[in-house]
Amino acid sequence: MDFMHRALSAIFPVIAAFILAAALFALTGYDLYEVTAGVIEGAITGYGSFWSTLRWAMPLLLIALGVMFALRAAEFNIGGQGQMMIGGLGCVAVALLVPGPAWLVMPLAVLTGMLFGTLWSLLPGILKIRYGADEVILTLMLNFIAVLFVSWVTTGPLKDPAVRGESASTPKVDEALRLSGGDGMSWALLIMLVVAALVAWLIAERTKTGLQMRFVGEAEKAARWQGINVDRLKLISYALAGLFAGLAGAFEVLGPNGRLVTGATPTIGFTAIVVTIVGLSRVPGIVFAALLFGGLQAAVLFLPIVSDLPSSGLKILEGIIAILVTAELIRRRRAG
Amino acid sequence: MAIALECKDVDVRFGAVHALKNVSLKLETGKIHALLGQNGAGKSTIARVMSGVLTPQNGTLKIMSKPVVTGSAAQAQAAGLDIVHQRFALPPTFQVGEALEFASARKMGGVVFSKAKTDSAWAARLKEAGIDIDPKAKLADLPVETIQSIEIVRALANDADVLILDEPTALLSPSAIQDLFNNLRDLRDRGVTLIVVLHKLKEVMEIADTVSILRQGALVMEPTPTSELTAEDISKTMIGEVVAAAPLAHAAPTLASKDVVCAFSAVHSPTKGGEIGLRDVSFELHAGEVLGVAGIEGNGQRALAEVFAGLTQPTQGDLSLNGASLEKCSIAERRTLGLRAVPFDRMTEGAGLTVSLWENTMTWIADRFRRFGPIVSTAKMQTDAATLLDSYGVVYNTPTQDGQSLSGGNLQRAILARELTGTVKAVLAAQPTRGLDFNSTNFVWQELNRVRSDGAGVILISSDLDELFGICDRIMVMRGGAVAGVLEPEFSAVQIGAAMVGAT
Amino acid sequence: MDFLDQFTITTLRASTPIILAAVAGLFSIRAGIFHLGIEGLMLAGAFAAVAAGTASGSVWIGLLVAIAVCLILSVLYWVVIDRLKADAVIAGLGLTALCVGGTAFAMQVIFGRRGQMGSEVRLPRPVTGPQEGILGYVSELTIITWATPILILLAWIVLRRSRLGLQIAAVGDYPYGAEASGVNQSMVRLKALLITGFGCAIAGTQLAVGDVAGFSENMTNGRGFFALAAVLFGGFSAVYTALAGLFFGFADAFGIAMQLFDQSGLPTQFVLMAPFVLTIIIVTISGAVKKKRGTS
Repeated sequence: MDFMHRALSAIFPVIAAFILAAALFALTGYDLYEVTAGVIEGAITGYGSFWSTLRWAMPLLLIALGVMFALRAAEFNIGGQGQMMIGGLGCVAVALLVPGPAWLVMPLAVLTGMLFGTLWSLLPGILKIRYGADEVILTLMLNFIAVLFVSWVTTGPLKDPAVRGESASTPKVDEALRLSGGDGMSWALLIMLVVAALVAWLIAERTKTGLQMRFVGEAEKAARWQGINVDRLKLISYALAGLFAGLAGAFEVLGPNGRLVTGATPTIGFTAIVVTIVGLSRVPGIVFAALLFGGLQAAVLFLPIVSDLPSSGLKILEGIIAILVTAELIRRRRAG
Repeated sequence: MAIALECKDVDVRFGAVHALKNVSLKLETGKIHALLGQNGAGKSTIARVMSGVLTPQNGTLKIMSKPVVTGSAAQAQAAGLDIVHQRFALPPTFQVGEALEFASARKMGGVVFSKAKTDSAWAARLKEAGIDIDPKAKLADLPVETIQSIEIVRALANDADVLILDEPTALLSPSAIQDLFNNLRDLRDRGVTLIVVLHKLKEVMEIADTVSILRQGALVMEPTPTSELTAEDISKTMIGEVVAAAPLAHAAPTLASKDVVCAFSAVHSPTKGGEIGLRDVSFELHAGEVLGVAGIEGNGQRALAEVFAGLTQPTQGDLSLNGASLEKCSIAERRTLGLRAVPFDRMTEGAGLTVSLWENTMTWIADRFRRFGPIVSTAKMQTDAATLLDSYGVVYNTPTQDGQSLSGGNLQRAILARELTGTVKAVLAAQPTRGLDFNSTNFVWQELNRVRSDGAGVILISSDLDELFGICDRIMVMRGGAVAGVLEPEFSAVQIGAAMVGAT
Repeated sequence: MDFLDQFTITTLRASTPIILAAVAGLFSIRAGIFHLGIEGLMLAGAFAAVAAGTASGSVWIGLLVAIAVCLILSVLYWVVIDRLKADAVIAGLGLTALCVGGTAFAMQVIFGRRGQMGSEVRLPRPVTGPQEGILGYVSELTIITWATPILILLAWIVLRRSRLGLQIAAVGDYPYGAEASGVNQSMVRLKALLITGFGCAIAGTQLAVGDVAGFSENMTNGRGFFALAAVLFGGFSAVYTALAGLFFGFADAFGIAMQLFDQSGLPTQFVLMAPFVLTIIIVTISGAVKKKRGTS
């Protein structure tokens, strides 16, 4: 019963957003049938479409898994964007600068990415928990700082010398270190994604830390009375958020991008928060939501081939979902 | 004598709670009237009805002989009545002048104003009232008694004839209370009618011309001149007849043992979130006894519970369990040692409403369910939770349902199941039966009695004297964060009432 | 024009939209709403100004339509967070996403343009001074830049010298006191959000038909978020917020100048970072002070 309520509360804004967006597209003269067929072909049925859906679901899924821990502990960590970029930075630095065999450098690069992401997230965590600074502002500011820092690295110390002018990218990493080719997805990456989701699920649902973290987020006072260390668990939630976002950054570098690019995916951190909320902060829900949004992203890249609907249509959809997804009144009405 | 305020047949219900039962009251002009009663007696509720903040289900209101519509603060103000709430209306982040201009019904400036003008107008008002203060001072930097006198200026600025003060002495030091009383007498002499909500007998005797007493929502004493009353009359009327008819009354309450389980020695704790801290609290809790804690709410009971559970660290003094100091013990360590607590608010502190029953009862000991490394068996947690809940007679469908799906009594049973299982040496139960029905209340008493018979010490904080008289071996009375007395049977309501209100 | 003149112009141009959005956003933040939709409102205002200006041929009609659009979106945001009780941060980010998508979509649907479009109208530049000399740069500034100090003054008057300002501050700082004083908190929040929307419309207009003439997708590029940083940096005062906005513009201009002239090798990114780092420090200190007050 409770689960049904919550599932409805997440699904309703998504459906409402689809209806509103469809109405908008129809009113502005687009052929809904053509658009729908295009979306389905671009996300699922077309050649390589589902692969492309997985490619775009990957970073969303990983960041959202991290955001899940933050939201479970009732911490509003909106710094996934910056944590991912800094994670990517750590990863690319190791991949480019550390000599050694690929079997050693590759895991080292991934771990460094996770470590960098974790540290970047712990910074606002400590400032919030120790000094009571507002985490929304801190993580927002750290996103901008991360973008500028990565911009400096990619135009300065790790600039691709092969490209002239103000290129904002590092050189490509060695092919031997890559986890996927140009199409962005590979079986190796897919398996690692499944493992990451399973690990996240185990931590969240089957460890003392995960169970107590959720308890802290839902009932902080009760947690204190029961002797649960609230501050410690909140800090762990920051660490885990950064860890998964850093992993996303590392996979982007060693996977689809093959290098660190400035401003490659400017709003992915925000989309990941929406994914987490639509997924009800539970791993299976987040997997579905990530596939949904990944599929839409894939469809958007495909759509120009079959329809002239602009890709901005997706942003509208995403915006409406985000605006509605936390509205309590709608929830209550839906839940009866 | 003219009547300043008259209310007739005022009836207020909050859900199932009948907060005011057909209260009719006439208060004369030019006097200081005290409204007295225990917590929950309805004195703040009637004050809120009089000031138009609260709309009663039934009843009429006349201010200065003019009928006003109930539930309209603006109408009450227009008729000449204003109120100083227990919690101040002046925003603490504001400057004095700004706060007055904002919160007062009287405006010194226009929609857009010159601050020099409003500040000087308010400074003049303050000076008239004997408060010499820079209108640019920030409220948060001022002592509480100054803010209160500014609140009074705020309320009177609109030329109010009737001023209500809701528990004005609650946060004041003794000397500040004297200043406040002098101020109130001045106001009375200038013709303002004052209605003061109080709960301390001594203060009533000192300041009030008449006293009206509420008990459980009913007016049990019409406005009566204080000169015609003794402190004993008043405290008797306020507490009422105590029928020590609790079903579990010990035939002859005897201290089962003199072994000390838990001891407080000269404990002081800080004031936290407006709740008074402990002042030099010392007592011993014996094995096999129920030690009641009586007192008007807000006199240090919360601090006592939080210091006991480990949520608040004492600033001075120490507490011990079985002779070992708890100074360096975390909350979790205390619980493992056998120190348990049933918190005041079962909906926020006792349990998580949006968390499942098995999580509510088992999360804190999740460590015990480890299987492989850090992985715990939630299936075992659920079956254990079910066993535990069953043994406490909790009515539920599945341990995965949320806390909010349980009734109050069932939720309290689940909390007791968690707190009274395992190593239990000393238990503190804070208002454990508040709002519960007869059966659940009985169950709580039974369980407390059981752990007591098993040799644990029980501290029972309650504002229900029937409850305390029925199941306690001793009763400690708290006043102003300090221990006002420890009573042994036979308990007398008069004696406790006197200790609670400080009439002794 | 010498270097200093050019630098001053760049600073003023870069900071005008940020200052306007920041001072506008101050009203919402003062009322307790952390309004992350400012970025989107500015963008919507920018597009509406270009679209309506181009369609009507009048920059003033463009400005009016921009204001209307931003006010409507602000009411929508108010309905969602105040009536439907949605989370203000998530809904604000959603509003921004909606505007990013909506403006690009509308540009393509209405004008058949992708990515960017030019504007046929521009804001007038009221002062036509000498093209050379020390004050040569004054003729480079639009009427909105000239009006900015007046708007800041107006904002200051409303916030510090009007009943509405006191109500906004009370709703944000101390809702209990607002309630006890009979203030309708919902309406005060709506008024604050409308003022924010109004200011964002002007900021967006300046951005799109001020110094450049045209709209491009996501052209605000984070300025709305910078504006929020400026509010926090400016400690919730209209004047300091405006100065913080000026500082953001200064950092921007400094970064550009360094790219052009500097030989020292200090990366411009670090100059651009300075306002954000300072904001973090200020927010942390004020949090620590508040925390200390709360416990003692």
